[in-house]
Amino acid sequence: MNKVYTSLILVFGLVVLWTIYLTNVKEDKNLTVRYYTIKELTMEEKSINKIKIGGLVKPNSIDINESNRLEVWFYVYQGEDSLKVYYNGTRPDLFKDDAEIVISGKFENNLITATELQTKCASRYEGDLKNINSI
Amino acid sequence: MVSQIGSLALSIASGLILSTFFFLIYYRLTKDKIFIDLSERSIIATCLSIFLATICLLNELLISNFNLQYVAQYTSYETPMFYKVTSLWAGQAGSLLFWTFIMSVYTLIYIFFTLNKIKVLKYHSYFIFAIIFGFFLFLSNFIANPFEPVSPDIIVQNGNGLNPLLQNVTMAIHPPILYLGFIGTTILFVMTLSALIVNEINYQWVKSIRSWALIVWTFLSAGIILGGYWAYQELGWGGYWAWDPVENSSLMPWFLLTAFIHSSIIQEKRGLLKTWNVLLASLTYIFVILGTFITRSGIISSVHSFTAESLGPLFFVFLCTLILLTVFWFFKHYHMLVSEEKIKSFTSREGGFLYNNLILVTMCFIVLWGTLFPIISEAWNGEKIHIGQNYFNQLNVPIGIFLLFLMGIGPLLSWKKTSSSTLISNFKIPMISSFVTGSLYMVFTDEFRFYPFVTLLGIIFTLTAISIEFKKSFDSHYSKDPSFFRAILNLLSQNRHKNGGYIVHIGITLLFVGFVGRAFEKETEFVLKPDEQFYFANYNFRLNSVTTEQRNNHLAAISNMDVTDESNNYITTLYPEKRIYFYRDPDTEKHQPHSELDIYSTMNKDIYSVFSSYDSDTKEAYFKIMINPLVNWVWIGGIMIVLGSLFAFWPSSSRRD
Repeated sequence: MNKVYTSLILVFGLVVLWTIYLTNVKEDKNLTVRYYTIKELTMEEKSINKIKIGGLVKPNSIDINESNRLEVWFYVYQGEDSLKVYYNGTRPDLFKDDAEIVISGKFENNLITATELQTKCASRYEGDLKNINSI
Repeated sequence: MVSQIGSLALSIASGLILSTFFFLIYYRLTKDKIFIDLSERSIIATCLSIFLATICLLNELLISNFNLQYVAQYTSYETPMFYKVTSLWAGQAGSLLFWTFIMSVYTLIYIFFTLNKIKVLKYHSYFIFAIIFGFFLFLSNFIANPFEPVSPDIIVQNGNGLNPLLQNVTMAIHPPILYLGFIGTTILFVMTLSALIVNEINYQWVKSIRSWALIVWTFLSAGIILGGYWAYQELGWGGYWAWDPVENSSLMPWFLLTAFIHSSIIQEKRGLLKTWNVLLASLTYIFVILGTFITRSGIISSVHSFTAESLGPLFFVFLCTLILLTVFWFFKHYHMLVSEEKIKSFTSREGGFLYNNLILVTMCFIVLWGTLFPIISEAWNGEKIHIGQNYFNQLNVPIGIFLLFLMGIGPLLSWKKTSSSTLISNFKIPMISSFVTGSLYMVFTDEFRFYPFVTLLGIIFTLTAISIEFKKSFDSHYSKDPSFFRAILNLLSQNRHKNGGYIVHIGITLLFVGFVGRAFEKETEFVLKPDEQFYFANYNFRLNSVTTEQRNNHLAAISNMDVTDESNNYITTLYPEKRIYFYRDPDTEKHQPHSELDIYSTMNKDIYSVFSSYDSDTKEAYFKIMINPLVNWVWIGGIMIVLGSLFAFWPSSSRRD
């Protein structure tokens, strides 16, 4: 090995180690966010600054503030468990009952304050044929 | 009838691939050259059957034969003709057939143009093709057959129709262009592995594979940029890149291929780095398949992944096969690749190319780790982790800035070793010009930020360095023939690879201009009734009216909003729309809302408007407005990148550099 190749490999190795280190240092570095389940959160007493959670919108739980329609409260559920969510912002087009969503935000006093609300929309939908009008 | 022909054509194609295997094995046993010809013919016939199958599916889509599941799922009677064609690649089964179709086109070109020149690669190339075609045809025949009929107990009156998000010209051309890039890497893989097996990683190989790599790179780059353009125009979050796993899977092969295009120059010029080039070329295809695995397996949730059929395990097996083949032959013939000579100087042109490779491979690793870490972490301790944009930006932005500077530094270095006097004289002007710009920025900015500042320095440095290079070659042509136009013409017609490369570099530098703009984005959300206004970021937004209109396949609420600047000068009127697709359907569940945004675009900044919701009772309209500086430079850079690389590989009769 000559010195040019060795130093290049060394630099690459260092960056690799640094990257792996960064992703393993948890939330304080702001790079990674953990996904929680609703069950975990309902048992959690402390507040958590950064969470991510996936689930479905509980039917008939969407409550839009009449005086500021950007504000919304709803419940997100996973199976039996559900949690209340508050969100202030533009809602995605596909946000409705039973829509599959991913929320990022903060958890405090059994309420998720969402900073980001995404619906899972396949850019090509793989809907099965139940959607097709049949005679 | 036509669908039966298509289905049959697919089966025949698999049969032909199977017979290719037999012919190749016979050749192995008998050494009779006739079997090579036979296997060649059966591969050509396979490609032709795939063409036929594709034409059949296209026909069924165009005539709306809803007896086919695929046609019923992705089109309807209302789908415009143009989008009936594009729905060929809108879903899993169709896009797999389309993939095989493009692969066939490439294969034919490779057989007739490349293999005819490098005949020794024939046998192994056919073998590898047979494996790859065999895999894809297996999928199309047994797992995701586009000719699958709907179950006999339902009669479909009308199909689902294509997702409105996809009914957009950019989205129609983005996938095929990206596919042309992705699938083109198949040829790089086949050519590299076969040459590795027969120990022909030589000058002829590198010469020939470089042309392929440039073509593939052009498509890949254009496809990625078009994807960003589509996201920006259509999705309404105001950006063009979100480090989504699917986006990442197109970027990783791009990094590797870009690295290969640079490192193969060293092999072409000096016969070095063969081992490295073999690895890069093979890895590019392996990463394409890895990306396809990520997209189609559902192991990583992404906003735009396929989920229905599980092709994951099959792609995984295919991926492992490719890796094993490469690793086996790589180590078996490693000793044939190692060259005696090494690159010894840090300040040489070769060194510059190596730094380029180091940076690109490092970025590829960072993206790979960020994409796969959630899976690794979940498998490791069950913790589901999300890696956000912060990770990718924090790590890649500084490295990207190095790359930006390197584009300027590289051309200033000489081959083998740059003497310190040359170093000083070459670096003088770029250094001074970026220093001057930097000082001006410091004086005039009211808000100093580190990364934009350094990026600005890099942009000026690199643009100056490239201009100096152009000036130098212009001068040398001009001194031989003192006519301005002829000198330009000579400059352009000679050294196409090099000059095309510089044009691509200018394009990439312009991309960085656009990236800087991202640091200064502003965004707000507000509610207006007609005749009310809202002031934001030195602009005044006044809502004139909201009108509703019934159109062919949707209902639209169209806002009409005047934008004026702080001194009340009229700037533009924006018409963002809120649309409801499938609104005639009595079942409200099927109504699909969609925000059609409106962008006022200038070189300096874009005013990006989204009509997010409308309450017809109170007449309240909800808007999201973003001020996105310098976005247009991304598209201009993108166009230059494509033009530059087209220029680089456009055939010319004159001697190439």
